[in-house]
Amino acid sequence: MEVFGQLAGGFAVALHPINMAMLFVAVVLGLVIGVLPGLGGTSGVAILLPITVFIAHGSLPGSDATTAIIFLAGIYWGALFGGVITSILFNIPGEPWAVVLLFDGFPLAKRLGKPGLALASSFVSSFLGALVSTILFTFFALPIALKALEFGPAELFAVFALSFATLIGLGAEAPMKSLAMLALGLLLAAIGFDTITGEQRLNFGQISLLSGISFVPVTIGLFGIGEILASAEEQGIGFVENISARLGLRDVLEAVRELRKRLRLVLSNAIIGFFFGVLPGHGATAASFLGYGLARQYSKNKENFGKGEISGIMGPQAAADSAGVASLVPMITLGIPGSPTSAVIMAGLFIWGLQPGPVLFIQHPDFVWGLIASIYLGHLLTFVLCLLAVPLLAMIMRVPYAIITPFIVVISIIGSYSLNNSMLDVFITVVFGVIGYWLRKMKYPLAPLVVALVLGDSTERELRKALIAGHGSPLYFFNSGLSTVLLVLAIVLVLIPLVRSIRARRRGVSPTAGAGSAAAHP
Amino acid sequence: MLIAAVAMFDSRAAFNPSASTAPGDVGSRWYPFWAASIMGVASLIVAYRALTTPQAIEGVFEGSRSLFAVLKIAVPMLVYALLIGGIGFRTTDFTYRILPPFGFYLATALYMGLFAWWIGRYKIWWVAAITVAFPIVIFAVFEIGFRVSLPKSFLYTSGLLPF
Repeated sequence: MEVFGQLAGGFAVALHPINMAMLFVAVVLGLVIGVLPGLGGTSGVAILLPITVFIAHGSLPGSDATTAIIFLAGIYWGALFGGVITSILFNIPGEPWAVVLLFDGFPLAKRLGKPGLALASSFVSSFLGALVSTILFTFFALPIALKALEFGPAELFAVFALSFATLIGLGAEAPMKSLAMLALGLLLAAIGFDTITGEQRLNFGQISLLSGISFVPVTIGLFGIGEILASAEEQGIGFVENISARLGLRDVLEAVRELRKRLRLVLSNAIIGFFFGVLPGHGATAASFLGYGLARQYSKNKENFGKGEISGIMGPQAAADSAGVASLVPMITLGIPGSPTSAVIMAGLFIWGLQPGPVLFIQHPDFVWGLIASIYLGHLLTFVLCLLAVPLLAMIMRVPYAIITPFIVVISIIGSYSLNNSMLDVFITVVFGVIGYWLRKMKYPLAPLVVALVLGDSTERELRKALIAGHGSPLYFFNSGLSTVLLVLAIVLVLIPLVRSIRARRRGVSPTAGAGSAAAHP
Repeated sequence: MLIAAVAMFDSRAAFNPSASTAPGDVGSRWYPFWAASIMGVASLIVAYRALTTPQAIEGVFEGSRSLFAVLKIAVPMLVYALLIGGIGFRTTDFTYRILPPFGFYLATALYMGLFAWWIGRYKIWWVAAITVAFPIVIFAVFEIGFRVSLPKSFLYTSGLLPF
């Protein structure tokens, strides 16, 4: 099999000392970010993205773009694992995808007095979920990419349209809000020079806006600063609970035994999580809720859920980690981010001078396979670190708010400034921080905004190339079978919420409740 | 809960793009125009729904305390950003400065110190330690480690300080 040769080459790259060292640093950082409630995986990756520019350009001996992506992805893996620690021990989710763990993880730790088992169950299922997903990644990535190489502008536009449509049609929030955010993202992406004609637009005569609004300051603002402001509001909740965070070998063995009883659940959730993660805009968070729902649905003892049922930990964790890994698949193979976090990583690729998409497999096989190999290694490393360092990580929660909050702001500002040495970017970050906070508060989804922002330019380019090729006729899109199918699928997806709300109205339920019920995961 | 806020947000969302996109040629303006229109329509629908569905009448913020909690973070952050870059007007002929740039390090020291003193309510020597330690660590990591040059203060340009 060709894949194994490639993967072996990838491991050779990933096992390079500098790559391993950065992977270790990244995983530790990711765990810390995961534990800190005010800082999520997406914002952690966004804040540290500018630093990777220096890694990618060889500031560290022997480092290159592969080191940089291993670093960024490692933060994501760490955060995927780390977010659950505080959910289980303190009843405070460190990450959005750890919210589900409040239902059963905390009760198991607190009421049943088994924090070690709760943690160990979460870690083993995360690990297994990620492993399944990475194996699927390994085998699916190349075929998808090779197919994608044959795409013309029409097919590419259709793929973009489909990914936008999934954001609207399958989004957790009200579809109209998703649509509004999507359009806002496209609009922001359009600022500056037009990529085809070179005309300037939407810059209101400002020279500084000519090169457009950069993605990184906006995301650092939306996620990093936005989360800080959102968590400021929740301050004072505090955690008086103090559960011993020790994790013994006995707990791990018991967790493995429990895992064996639930192997089918965990494996099927991991596979479902993978396909869910591949869809744009659905990262680990949505998958974790789905995983919980499935675990509950197919459980024999439903009444135990919410009281510390281990399936309620393993089900969502397997799905969440699997989806986290899977969200990189469309990013690497098609250039379409599967989640906000992978949108940020994709922006990194642009900045390092790489074009995400199928061409990567041809031009930079080392990069792609090094990344894939590092996913295996990263998860193994995270798993081991988690088992060893839980007490230490739990202590991070004690770092006082008055230090950690300004520190995150300071790091965010360094991040947004250092990319282009521009104070304008700093102000963009601050302004978008406030906007991001406000959007969160108003329950507007951020994923469509970020995905549209990063895809805006290429979508427009492919659309206009296709229109030029078709002499202005939109029928050009229906010349090829594939693009027709994709576009029809996209239209259907957009219509789903509409149909649902009409149906709900017929039944006499208010339309927003109908649209909202799609959001209300179990 | 959403009423006032959504309406406010949406009026901004709906007005801004239509003002900015002159409906013009189908070339470079076409795409942003439609993006803006879609956004305008979508946000109007959101606003309509928010206004027509009955909702609990309470403020967006749960009491003034949580608003204050957010402002306590947001306002110093803005001031911090302004301190780094300084405030001024630049015309083609001259630059008029209201506030000289404090640079990254001085501003960070003030900012971290303020938090330790005001929100953390630490003892004064702790505040002093934080004020001094953080900029030094950041200097070591970024300026020396990653060779990232962060904004310098007006005292640096006049040669009084090394940062």
